[in-house]
Amino acid sequence: MVHVEIKAEELFAIGPLIVTNSMVGVLLASAVLLLAAWWFTRRSAVVPNRGQSLIELPIEFLAGVVRGTGGKRWRQFAPLILAIFLYVLVANWLSLLPGVGTIGLAEGEPGHEILVPFVRAGAADLNFTLGLALISFVAFIAFGLRANGLRGYLKELLIAEPAYMTPLLTPIHLISELSRVISLSMRLFGNVFAGEVLLATMLALTTATVFILPLAFVVPGIFLGLELLFGLVQALVFALLSMTYITLAIAEHRQHGPTDDHSGESPEQGAAPAHGSA
Amino acid sequence: MGLGGIGPGIGLGIGFSKAMEAIGRNPEASGTIFVPYILGLALTEAIGIYALVVSLIILFAS
Repeated sequence: MVHVEIKAEELFAIGPLIVTNSMVGVLLASAVLLLAAWWFTRRSAVVPNRGQSLIELPIEFLAGVVRGTGGKRWRQFAPLILAIFLYVLVANWLSLLPGVGTIGLAEGEPGHEILVPFVRAGAADLNFTLGLALISFVAFIAFGLRANGLRGYLKELLIAEPAYMTPLLTPIHLISELSRVISLSMRLFGNVFAGEVLLATMLALTTATVFILPLAFVVPGIFLGLELLFGLVQALVFALLSMTYITLAIAEHRQHGPTDDHSGESPEQGAAPAHGSA
Repeated sequence: MGLGGIGPGIGLGIGFSKAMEAIGRNPEASGTIFVPYILGLALTEAIGIYALVVSLIILFAS
């Protein structure tokens, strides 16, 4: 049966910093992105040639989506969304290359050796996805603070719309804000990790039949294509959900805006019950 | 894990069929339907992924 390790395996340590194999994968993704950014902006033109328009195609698509749903301030957070999308996409697709997760050292006592690969898929480690989710969390809180001010943001967070519902709704609201981090990180981790396990299992199942039917050449290929699609979809989902959270944090104040006179200040605390009918 | 797969499976099917219905009724709106559709699918699918992650952790984290 296949060997599956939930944690990223340690490779070596630089002083107190332990380098795991998923860190190598993530750093590879960063290097690819940096190189691509350097290479394609080196001689970018206003009128793009073929290669440049091919690279710009996904970026323009996502920027169009952000512009369509992001509201007036979409330019402020479009770079963050695009960066998250490209990073997760490159990390996911790098993990499908041959050699990732299969080339490594055998460790453990003789007879029970396990393979410790040099490179592991970045998102198959919860640390990477949790870090990205925390960046998104900080971003949507910061955008909410910037859009509504400290007072408006705290009011939005702590006081429910009919004021007498506050003791019931405020804990739910707080938990839902916090659970966004968990759901974002767990979704990406679960998908990528399950994809790795799925590929390994399919290969292990079909290599048993290799002398009867050439299944081992066909079936993992199909699932590899499926994982290619899932990598794209999960990167898109992570970016779009971050965008939705930021948009919500910015627009929360404006949802009940029409009942306020647009004085530019956050409304008084005492006026809260008057909004109950809104 | 099996039970955790049933619920999101039904939910994804309902969501997909409704999105296809909506596109069939109004083909020009497929661009605007796409983004909320993907978000809804992701939120539904997350439940199944939770079941998967928990079962994998129970299986392998020893």
